[in-house]
Amino acid sequence: MEEYHRHCDEVGFNAEEAHNIVKECVDGVLGGEDYNHDNINQWTANIVEQSLTHLVKLGKAYKYIVTCAVVQKSAYGFHTASSCFWDTTADGTCTVRWENRTMNCVVNVFAIAIVL
Amino acid sequence: MSRYVASFLLEVGFNADKAHNIVKECVDGVLGGENYNQNNINQWTASIVEQSLTHLVKLRKAYKYIVTCAVVHKSAYGFQTASSYFWVTTADGTYTIRWENGTMNCIVNVFAIAIVLQLTKNVRLKPLN
Repeated sequence: MEEYHRHCDEVGFNAEEAHNIVKECVDGVLGGEDYNHDNINQWTANIVEQSLTHLVKLGKAYKYIVTCAVVQKSAYGFHTASSCFWDTTADGTCTVRWENRTMNCVVNVFAIAIVL
Repeated sequence: MSRYVASFLLEVGFNADKAHNIVKECVDGVLGGENYNQNNINQWTASIVEQSLTHLVKLRKAYKYIVTCAVVHKSAYGFQTASSYFWVTTADGTYTIRWENGTMNCIVNVFAIAIVLQLTKNVRLKPLN
């Protein structure tokens, strides 16, 4: 009988690792910038793509969803919510809140275990 | 040799139309007729995601779901979001609804990840005949 080898033996979503990855991406894209309507589309796209690329490079058996929202700072604030129907033992999420003087940014990472 | 069939849900395929109807109804029900109100906004976003998720699960499809909702007060600068995914493009799916009224913008994302069925000895099967 043939033996079946998993590509990756690591399981369990490491929220801290994801947090560091995302924070580094956001700092790299938005750090030192002020809210600029012309660039904002490219910034949000860069954040999600870079974060996703680094998460996949971890080589874990997960599917990933990365969402990013950026708003200009206002007196009214910014409200988000999320709800998930999944396997609470294997799947996981991480949220990074980032801000500077002119904008707020919220990045969500959702990781769904791939059952092999 | 007997043939067996799994006795639980086996529907696959993400239906974006159904997701649209479900989410639109939830958002209309929660935010319809309301103006932006700092005191209620947390409860509104929580209600939208919970109600949407409940109705999606009731479709009894072999999917895990993630529902996210963001609400902002309308401003001249607008509101930018982006999302990116690493998944199976043939089975998994997403749907986004944009809703607005005179005072606020609302975006709801639904992500559906197909559950791969694994037959183990814990699964209850029934014979076909």
